[in-house]
Amino acid sequence: MAKKLSPVAQKARDFYLHEAGKLGDASSGVLKQVRDQAQEAFAEQAFPTAKDEDWQYTKLTGFVQNHFAAVQTSEEVAGKINAYMPSFPVIKLVFVDGNFSESLSDDLNELPDGISLESFADTLSMNNELDKVFAGQDKILAEPFGSLNSMLMRDGFCLQVSANKALELPLYVLHVQTKAGSISSLRNRVVVGENSEITLVERYVSAHEEGAACSNIVTEIDVAKHARVKQVIVQQQNDSSYYFNNQFISQADSSNFNTFFASTGSDTSRHQNHLYMNGEHIENTQNSACIARQSQTVDSRSYTEHNDEHGFSRQLHKFVLDDKAVGVFNGMIRVDQKAQKTDGQMDNKNLILSNTAKMDAKPQLEIYADDVLCSHGSATGQIDENQIFYLQARGINKAAAMQMITKAFLLEPVEDINNADIRKWITDQLEVALAKTHLPKA
Amino acid sequence: MLLNVQNLQAQVEETEKQILKGLNLEVKPGEVHAIMGPNGAGKSTLASVLAGREDYEVTDGSVDFDGEDLLDMDPEERARKGLFLAFQYPVEIPGVSNKLFMQTAVNAMREERGLPELDMFDFDEYAKEKIELLDMRADLLERSVNVGFSGGEKKRNDIFQMALLEPKLCIMDETDSGLDIDALRLVANGVNTLKNDQRSFIIVTHYQRLLDYIKPDHVHVLYNGRIVKSGGFELALELEENGYDEIIKQHQDA
Repeated sequence: MAKKLSPVAQKARDFYLHEAGKLGDASSGVLKQVRDQAQEAFAEQAFPTAKDEDWQYTKLTGFVQNHFAAVQTSEEVAGKINAYMPSFPVIKLVFVDGNFSESLSDDLNELPDGISLESFADTLSMNNELDKVFAGQDKILAEPFGSLNSMLMRDGFCLQVSANKALELPLYVLHVQTKAGSISSLRNRVVVGENSEITLVERYVSAHEEGAACSNIVTEIDVAKHARVKQVIVQQQNDSSYYFNNQFISQADSSNFNTFFASTGSDTSRHQNHLYMNGEHIENTQNSACIARQSQTVDSRSYTEHNDEHGFSRQLHKFVLDDKAVGVFNGMIRVDQKAQKTDGQMDNKNLILSNTAKMDAKPQLEIYADDVLCSHGSATGQIDENQIFYLQARGINKAAAMQMITKAFLLEPVEDINNADIRKWITDQLEVALAKTHLPKA
Repeated sequence: MLLNVQNLQAQVEETEKQILKGLNLEVKPGEVHAIMGPNGAGKSTLASVLAGREDYEVTDGSVDFDGEDLLDMDPEERARKGLFLAFQYPVEIPGVSNKLFMQTAVNAMREERGLPELDMFDFDEYAKEKIELLDMRADLLERSVNVGFSGGEKKRNDIFQMALLEPKLCIMDETDSGLDIDALRLVANGVNTLKNDQRSFIIVTHYQRLLDYIKPDHVHVLYNGRIVKSGGFELALELEENGYDEIIKQHQDA
């Protein structure tokens, strides 16, 4: 039975179903099936409300008042791209309003042997094994924004790395929004072969300063045996936009996955990792550093399944909240009966800079094995007066002391990024965002 | 006169409980003063009020520091003018390295003294000298401020900071509490190394044992918010022998 929706939400649902109907890119075959199933799931789920446990604190009341539509052609942004590029060498992939821009990106044909990279639009139109591409739809359709993505997805990237290859430069995927009212429905697929290694940096920005746009992303990452994947995602869209990202990661034996999410923009952003440790001796790190101010909501969450022995997982999620901002953390570590010798640790720490900001944290463990080491914790507070005084007593003025403490607090999860260039770059991005809070200026 | 405390009265800001009730103290350059007293006498309050902790409110009296009104200054200003507090419980600051912390602090002092800033390399060299002077571990600078330090290490870190900041007046707030004999010796050795004819110390302590290593010129007994007795080192010995009971009896409020 379809749930009861407010008239506004109903209108939004009908709008997106209509948009999906307009796509008309699949008259038969796998893609048609994927689209149909997605529409069916979305018609049922539509938009969660505060009554849905997983959406209690991340409200969509603002989101449903918008009707975001895909745009095909975009303003000329070539001149702006340089401002969004890091100073270290990368392989550049640029999307404008959700559409792959061949002219702004590096030449994908010049990648080393064994590494193939194409736009997801190309995958959709040319791949004749779409059943493999969409093998993971069941999990994706369990998320309302996964369903919305599945019925509207048009572009994104598809990266395949065969065994024993290393992509030496980071793949830098830049998403630029240019138009209020637009939606980027992105689908990414990353398949990393045995003993291979890649580094991904994904950045979401708005070229327009005002007016809401939306990014709704689904990324699937498949990490084969002994492979190593490092990922950094930075969400810096303008303050009225929306960001939803569902990542589904599957790891095989002895692989290593390290992901870091930084969030400073958007009206409402929600970043979800669904991580499946399907092998022995797997390691991973999932960290986040989020800043929210004014009436922003930032939601970072993780679901981690330890499904085999000797798994090692680490998480550190930090939030700095100012004004009337809302922070949400939800983390679940599930340890299967088979996953003996699991070592799992999940920490969430939050610093509140105002009297009106709010943090909702829910770390959870579900353990079915008996020989495991698992811990979770969450702490929320204001800057410790004793720390401020200690720095003052050494001649550092109060404002500088508060800045130093807050910066150190926020940057702790950044330390797990082992590429020094990326670490420095992320640090700079976060410092710029911190300067917009009401911390006194030193 | 380096420090001149006259009729100092202070209360706990929150509860308005009066702790210091008219305290007088004069410290000349190069002198070492010990302030002893039973628990609750106001020893740590005196240290906190002099350093400028906001939890206390001064209700009367004056404190003159090197010719300036100390009570008129923010805590950081007091530090910049040369007042140093060694904390009873040095604070942990996760993520801030000792190096960043001390480079910032040293440069704040240098700015005050009209000296140019030390860059990273100059600071490293300067800090290395002090680490060698105090015989401390070389990795001290790289570690987060006091995080994961033992009680003894935290207090040695405070002494290291003292060496870097080269203050005029060092107030040691029960630095000896909780230290084993080896740590106590190291701390005392640090103080003795830094002592000179211009730099003064106020050693606040409950026990006499630190004073075996750092010999004070003057010993004061603080009780019920006032200094009730002053003397030389022999007074510390006398207190060690007889405890505070006699003094409490003599000066109990009616």
